[in-house]
Amino acid sequence: MIALLLLGFGIVALIQIPGLVKKQWWWELIIFTILWLSGLILSVLLVLGVKFPETTTIIGNMVSKLFGI
Amino acid sequence: MALEAGRISRFQVIMLMVGFIFGTSVIVSPARSAGHDAWIANLIGIMEALLIAGVFCALANQFKDKTLVEINDLVYGRILGKAFSLIFIWYLFHLSALVLTVFSRFFVTEIYLATPKTVILIVFIAVCASTVGRGLEVLARCSMVLISLCILVIINDAFLAIPTMDIKNLLPIVDIPVEKLLWAAHSAATFPFAETVAFTMIFAFMNNHKGRYAPLAMAILIAGLTLTLAVARNSLVLGSMESAFEYPTYLAIQMIDIGDTLSRLEVVVAIFFIFSGFIKVSVLLYGTVLGLAQVFKLRSYRPVIIPVGILMIILALTNVGSSTELYAFVNNEFPIYSLPWVFGIPLLTLIVAKLRKLPQTGGDQL
Repeated sequence: MIALLLLGFGIVALIQIPGLVKKQWWWELIIFTILWLSGLILSVLLVLGVKFPETTTIIGNMVSKLFGI
Repeated sequence: MALEAGRISRFQVIMLMVGFIFGTSVIVSPARSAGHDAWIANLIGIMEALLIAGVFCALANQFKDKTLVEINDLVYGRILGKAFSLIFIWYLFHLSALVLTVFSRFFVTEIYLATPKTVILIVFIAVCASTVGRGLEVLARCSMVLISLCILVIINDAFLAIPTMDIKNLLPIVDIPVEKLLWAAHSAATFPFAETVAFTMIFAFMNNHKGRYAPLAMAILIAGLTLTLAVARNSLVLGSMESAFEYPTYLAIQMIDIGDTLSRLEVVVAIFFIFSGFIKVSVLLYGTVLGLAQVFKLRSYRPVIIPVGILMIILALTNVGSSTELYAFVNNEFPIYSLPWVFGIPLLTLIVAKLRKLPQTGGDQL
């Protein structure tokens, strides 16, 4: 599963990075890399079974507590 | 270099907004907490949404060729403006993940029973990302074809369901406490009608700057009345059973059987759910990546489409534990949670812009 994931992310990088390097869009490359790496790390953690915080549930609980619903 | 070269017409914006409002509401009826009075709550919700929309449309009219991110920069300055913009981008991003959650859960529960949610989400986001990458004009043209069909099918389904309807299912009218009805109406106003605040990232690319309220109001009315028809149909067909089902629209259409020939029409509903979900997620993805590109001063939003799409999938897979929690959030907390974005921040921005007499070149009024 991890190998499949890495292959998918590799394909995304192969599609995007050469074009950005060719145009010398370094700032765009940095932002892309940050987002791409975030996606890769989170996906690997997800595949490894790491429990993520449930964002919507957390927001819902916060709103409930704040407004006493 | 302009981030978006394409321009879309008023009619295309209307169709895009109708598709956006349909979004998940085609399958998850708005104002469900009002029970068989949901159609009344829906109508009240439309009126509230028209008022809320007046605020962000006034803001968009004030800065006619600017997206909300550019407006924030002008009104609050670079640092505070970017902070407001990032908060708004989070709203679009989170909303998109919520839509994807509803979408994937529906398909895994009703249609592709053995397919993992991740696969459905990857395929869906790939199509949306591909469309967003081709620009706003392509997305607008898609909506013209897909959403016209969607409206026709919803109206047609309502007529085909007439033999299975029982008018007694709508009686007694307003037998729930008024505050519960108004809460359901507010819930419908914020999910889905007022979510059209996302179009503050798109209005700037209209080829006609003659006010944004008229097309938005028209879209809310077209989508709102069509959804009210669908909600009333669900109540008429399912009666008190409606609240027991997660996807009442799907079940109500399942019951259509005209002479043993015209049956199993629920698949058509699922297909149109794909269409409307595609429009909604694409608009939200477009708003998110365009917003990020403007905040970080990128020369194109295209390099960030796929990574943002991947992050949306991750959030959609992890943001909520169960469908019960998801719908509890949509009915109870979302009407409050979304208010700052759809009403509070646009109103504050409008007031600050008026006080600072911005824009200095003048703009159209509502």
